[in-house]
Amino acid sequence: MPLSADYIARETATNLWRNRLMTIAAVLTVAVSLALVGAALLLKQGAANAENYWQRGTQVTVWMKASSSPSESHAVGSELKQLPYVHACSYHSQLADYREAKTLLSPGEFQALTVKTTPASYRCTPNQPQYAQAVYNRFNGQPGVLKVSAPFSQIHTMEETITVLQWVFLSVALVLLLSAGVLILNTIRMAIFARRREVSVMKLVGATNWFIRLPFMSEGLIQGLIGSIVAAAVVFGLHALLNSLANPNNPGTVLYQMRLSGWELFGTDFVVVLIGVLIGSVGSAMAIRRFLDV
Amino acid sequence: MIRFDNVTKAYKNGTVAVRNVSLDIQKGEFVFLVGPSGSGKTTCIRMLLREELPDRGRIWVAGREIIHMPKWRVPYLRRNVGCVFQDFRLLPNKTVFQNVAFALEVIGRPKSVVESQVPQVLDLVGLSKKRDNLPSELSGGEQQRVAVARAFVNRPLILLADEPTGNLDPGTSQGIMRLLDRINRTGTTVVVATHDAALVDWMRRRVVELDQGTIVRDQARGVYGIDANTGPVPRTEVGARRS
Ligand SMILES: Nc1ncnc2c1ncn2[C@@H]1O[C@H](COP(=O)(O)OP(=O)(O)O)[C@@H](O)[C@H]1O
Ligand SMILES: [Mg+2]
Repeated sequence: MPLSADYIARETATNLWRNRLMTIAAVLTVAVSLALVGAALLLKQGAANAENYWQRGTQVTVWMKASSSPSESHAVGSELKQLPYVHACSYHSQLADYREAKTLLSPGEFQALTVKTTPASYRCTPNQPQYAQAVYNRFNGQPGVLKVSAPFSQIHTMEETITVLQWVFLSVALVLLLSAGVLILNTIRMAIFARRREVSVMKLVGATNWFIRLPFMSEGLIQGLIGSIVAAAVVFGLHALLNSLANPNNPGTVLYQMRLSGWELFGTDFVVVLIGVLIGSVGSAMAIRRFLDV
Repeated sequence: MIRFDNVTKAYKNGTVAVRNVSLDIQKGEFVFLVGPSGSGKTTCIRMLLREELPDRGRIWVAGREIIHMPKWRVPYLRRNVGCVFQDFRLLPNKTVFQNVAFALEVIGRPKSVVESQVPQVLDLVGLSKKRDNLPSELSGGEQQRVAVARAFVNRPLILLADEPTGNLDPGTSQGIMRLLDRINRTGTTVVVATHDAALVDWMRRRVVELDQGTIVRDQARGVYGIDANTGPVPRTEVGARRS
């Protein structure tokens, strides 16, 4: 049977217009919830991108005791050089570290320090961030070694913050998505109720079930679609805004490190639209199952 | 064209609406289904449209057994069976033309078919001049004509009418009967459920009388009550008329 697209389009448009207040409510809820989903996805991908930066910069520092003997220091140096997973090491003498400390510490703290009491250090970059731990295990407690340090905790805190934020976004989005689904279900239910006479005539004259259902189905689908397109636009705008704030001359900023490629943005918007269409279809399918007996 | 074979139907509350009904209606016949209110006329019509299923027995419509028909075929059955009701069931916000066209549009007929068939059937029912009026601007008789046009526009093999004149005055009712008669003469099988004695007497067509769900009379050229002159016609005579 030829399904007249013209008919479906007309009926759907009429339904949407007749129910416009409910439609707007449903579309807005879909838009807000999906914008949150999109933001959470951007954040997740951004964090993944930035992690590369952070870990690439992971430095392991092996601090020598101020009292360590030159042979102990030499042993550590040559052992580090032989490790296959350590990319490069540089030796900072006590004097160099003393000068660095001067720039890093507050005057009160610095006062207690002299060149003689400042530890010398080896600054090493492992091939892969996870080897920082191996370096730590190997040299911590070795004769002459004061301690081994790496910025494990800083990276950790950053990632934890982003993970928490992501889950907050996603759970708020989930609640909103549920209400969006219920709103769509309700608009379709109202549309079915408003058109019960038409539906009964359609059944009487032998319209197929699909012909009766399709306008309602497409109504829910369109609500989901419009909502998700709005959300996709918001995600796009958000991305553009963050990108404009990220200063390319300063690669050290988090925003710059988190920036996404065009494909990642496209993928996010695609997922957002997909979820919107899904919510619309599920909402209207449920309404049709419950309230339209054909 | 229509055949009931020992059909029994009880509603969920226990009311037996139709009991052991067997009935044969040939192609092109015009049949009155008569009987007091509650005798099971509407139930018979609803079963023919497969809006209700019988508990026992079998029903054939246009050569098909419809009780075991899969659900997806039911719309196609209904395209062959037009139906009008006492309350017209027109769509109030559509014009006469749109009401009739709707019946073709929703079964996917192309625009060209709609544009040729609808004026033709409106002409048949005598409402060409009112094609752009809304139902609320029509008399009861005119509204029922629109309903007949909608039921007939797809040229069904069978036209059912459940108390089609229940809301109309006698003069208007006769007009509707004449229209159904005209449709019958195009070869369409027509079944009219009614308790309008005057109309049945006037038409002198086959009469099947139900009482408490059973057929108590099947008369070839019947009247509403039992005709004192001829008496009930035995079934064999009905069969003879057909052959
Ligand atoms: N949906 C229903 N549920 C329960 N009983 C019904 C229903 N429809 C009809 N009946 C009963 O079935 C019997 C036959 O009804 P119906 O077929 O409407 O008779 P008629 O059309 O001849 O007046 C009546 O006793 C009526 O009360
Ligand atoms: Mg009745």
